[in-house]
Amino acid sequence: MTLAYMVWAIVPILVAIRFSFNEGRSRSTAQGWSTRWYWDDPDLSVWNDPSLRQAVYQSLELASLAMLVAVPLGVLLALALTRWRGRGSGPARFVSLFPLVTPEIVMGTALFLTFVHLFHFVELGTPAQVIGHVTFSISFVVIIVRSRLLSIGPEFEEAAMDLGASPRQALRMVLLPLLAPAIFASFMIVFAISIDDFVISAFLSSDARTETVPIKIYSNARGAPTPALNAVASVMLVVALLAITLAVVVVRLVQRGRGERARTVEDFAQLNV
Amino acid sequence: MRSRQWFWASFSLPGLAWLSLFFLVPFYVILAVAMGTVDPIFRFPVPVWNPLEWNTQAFELVLDELGPSQTYGTVFIRTTAYVAAAVALSLAIGYPVAYYIARHGGRWKGLLLLGLVAPFWISYLMRMLAWVNLLQEDGLVNRSLMWLNVLDAPRNWLDGRASTVILGLVYGYIPFLILPLYASLDRIDRNLLEAARDLGASRVQAFRRVTLPLSKAGILAGCVIVALPMFGDYYTPDLLSGSPKTSLIGNQINLYIRGGPQVTLGAALVVVLMVLLLVFMVYYLISTARLARELDR
Amino acid sequence: MTRHPREPRGFDRRQFLQRSAAAALGVSSAGTLLAACGGDEATPAAGTGAVDTVTPEDSPFQLARRDNPITLPLFDDNPPIEAGLEPESGATLKVYNYIDYLWKRKVNEFAKEFDCKVEISTFSTMDEAVSKLAAGSAEFDVFFATVDRLGKLVAGKVLQPLNLDYVPNLQGNIWPQLVDPFYDRGALYTVPYVIWADGIGYRADKVTEDIASLPNPYEIFWEGGYSGKTYLLDDYRDALGMVLLRNGGTDVNTDDPAQIEQAKTDLLALIDAVNIKVSAEDYSKVPEGAAWIHQAWSGSMIAAPYYLPKGLDATALGFWYPSSGTGVVGNDTMTVLRGAQNPVLAHHFLNFMLDETNAYENFYNFNGYQPPLNAVTPESLVADEAVPENLASAVLTKEDYDRSQELLELAPEADVLWQNAWAEFKAGV
Repeated sequence: MTLAYMVWAIVPILVAIRFSFNEGRSRSTAQGWSTRWYWDDPDLSVWNDPSLRQAVYQSLELASLAMLVAVPLGVLLALALTRWRGRGSGPARFVSLFPLVTPEIVMGTALFLTFVHLFHFVELGTPAQVIGHVTFSISFVVIIVRSRLLSIGPEFEEAAMDLGASPRQALRMVLLPLLAPAIFASFMIVFAISIDDFVISAFLSSDARTETVPIKIYSNARGAPTPALNAVASVMLVVALLAITLAVVVVRLVQRGRGERARTVEDFAQLNV
Repeated sequence: MRSRQWFWASFSLPGLAWLSLFFLVPFYVILAVAMGTVDPIFRFPVPVWNPLEWNTQAFELVLDELGPSQTYGTVFIRTTAYVAAAVALSLAIGYPVAYYIARHGGRWKGLLLLGLVAPFWISYLMRMLAWVNLLQEDGLVNRSLMWLNVLDAPRNWLDGRASTVILGLVYGYIPFLILPLYASLDRIDRNLLEAARDLGASRVQAFRRVTLPLSKAGILAGCVIVALPMFGDYYTPDLLSGSPKTSLIGNQINLYIRGGPQVTLGAALVVVLMVLLLVFMVYYLISTARLARELDR
Repeated sequence: MTRHPREPRGFDRRQFLQRSAAAALGVSSAGTLLAACGGDEATPAAGTGAVDTVTPEDSPFQLARRDNPITLPLFDDNPPIEAGLEPESGATLKVYNYIDYLWKRKVNEFAKEFDCKVEISTFSTMDEAVSKLAAGSAEFDVFFATVDRLGKLVAGKVLQPLNLDYVPNLQGNIWPQLVDPFYDRGALYTVPYVIWADGIGYRADKVTEDIASLPNPYEIFWEGGYSGKTYLLDDYRDALGMVLLRNGGTDVNTDDPAQIEQAKTDLLALIDAVNIKVSAEDYSKVPEGAAWIHQAWSGSMIAAPYYLPKGLDATALGFWYPSSGTGVVGNDTMTVLRGAQNPVLAHHFLNFMLDETNAYENFYNFNGYQPPLNAVTPESLVADEAVPENLASAVLTKEDYDRSQELLELAPEADVLWQNAWAEFKAGV
């Protein structure tokens, strides 16, 4: 059953990748093998078509910026939500996780209207898109880091403080290193999510330079696209897979170095909400 | 002790400030637009910030058509039906998969999970387009089904069927269901199951009496994480069907909100949608609280 | 996204120029004649004192109609650029257009000639474009506006008036009724881009009826029975407009609620009758066989042969447009935005695209949409093998244009009626 699921999940992707190597222009009939859509074709390949290249750059730029802002905010938030027992913590938790379940069309619309009618200091385009990506990514960071925090438990810090460290020192020297794998994984997850985002990027884009890969795919796919579209999507897939694999490998190494059981992926899938 | 609480609480300030500014405030902006007026030239929305001056015309227009056989009512009902079907199907497919990985994954757990989540990292749109490819009349699906003698003639899967759209939704969102489900299944203490078997329960009984109830939280979480975003989906019907028969509330919102003379109407629809979703959210919160209490007993 | 251009077949540039020069010579004198006496049955003379009975009293802008030509207002705080300026150097010209509407090679030629970069941004609907422009959130230089938004765009000071000194190609190359059009007398803000007709595109090898000889060809949508293979254009004006014509309506810009309501009911009937679908990709869906009957723009059907799969040729395609009486035509325009960073370059771009060779090559090699060049007729295009003979009906003549209607700007209240009817159809109730 699981195998059937895997097959069902992966076949369309393999099909898409297969056609990205098509020699002819069709995206549905097999026409030989070639790398023309990646770099050979002088006008239309991903490498040579400036609009496709720009889309890749924009996707990567947004993902990097989103990563750098969302993770620190999310880590701090996760720490607060896990340790803070006060009355505000319930609503705070609700607010932190609400973006996860908000439909993207709602968020996209809300942010578009906000930036046009209220926050005029934010321009549509890259600044707006980054803000949008960060806003929905924070919840993911919170979930990942919180789950790790819960499995770590408070013993280590308490031990450190028994030995004379202040809470701040305990945090810096004990907790953060323990959290490093989760933080690193958060970076990678935010990166991968941001690359795939369509609705929010589309609502908040300004011109061709701020179109991301998913936007290009959507706008071109409804006409008569070339396999270059498949190629660009495959490129992004490889980038995202590399990011995830990097995360897993690094975390495994760090954990093994500490002598912990390497239960990386399972840990993160715990999703303690 | 108190100061320690404040120490931790203060950590939440940057994140909460960000979310307030860029998440909560925009909701108010949508309200202000929905209850606002329009400029005379372009008929673009002019938000009205003061609640006392709010203009309920857009809402009245929406509420007028919200009845079961009227425009928005029909679309809301259809969307709810599709989402319910998609979630049910996702559960039917996802639960066994999550169960298998949690219980029998063994050494391969990590790899299986990665394989599970990996498809999710290729652009959602690309996957949908690949499906369009496969579902065409001369595509792989028809060819396989005919080869297996399930079909006599190629069927036009893309002519605007509910089933195609629902399957598309399932395909796109199912990883979000499997992960929380896996998480809660994995957390179930094996000792409990062994104890049940020791007491004479069969495998099926053990599953029904022990595993299933303990995984309820996971089921609920998975369903919510998947269902709520599905309500806003509009590009799946766009890509997999072109027909008005399968249009969802996201399509209606998109029609009004992207420009044109009735953006306020679109904003009002968004508000109505969010109210609907909040009802589900509250139901979820109450259920999890109740479940937590039951489990603690 | 770029497409691989078709191989020019038997297109001899010198022959074409010779032919077109002869035609242009004959017409350009008529053009100046027009300017002098303002007489031509297609465009009523300006200043005849005709009363505007179309625009509602409180409307902030005038509604242009064929029989109600308007002069767009000029504002002191929105002046045209000075004459005799040098084009900006080292600049990036930003063009805002529909997807796949400009041939990349032409754009590159322009960039080379004027030593600049050109960046094309795209939108999928005019609503979206106007929304972004009015929000002031994007800065472009050139904008391809449709005629039905001009009143708003000018009143909202989104466009800047043109200085036609920079655009000499307008006179002489272009059809006189579009050099001084009813929707913009004196070409104060716009120059035309391409023209088209709304008709029915179909697969001649799959559709058994002879559409042209039917008493009411539009009925093929309801009566044809091509379930799942029948498409309408995904645009509220085009689709509803067609139903109005099918119902015998005479005004596709009507604000009559009864007519609109009837059109909506008929549209809804299509859902059950033929499992109707909507798309804006008529140029690929018909040749690929996803659609056997598609409400289509004429330019799409001219471009369609390029999308035919192996084994089919252009005789498998067909296009119908009423050969007498009225139908719907339209044209795009090119404009310069008020916030343009490179207005001089923008003017040069407009002039570049109005050049006969450039406009023709853009059409012939890329988008299939007919530029209103005096030198272009159905016969000349068939002779040039630009258009296959069985699709010659997709080429508009001046007479076709004159006897047809256009989808023009509606008063806001009427616009709401149309949009609501469309939304109800799209909801599939």
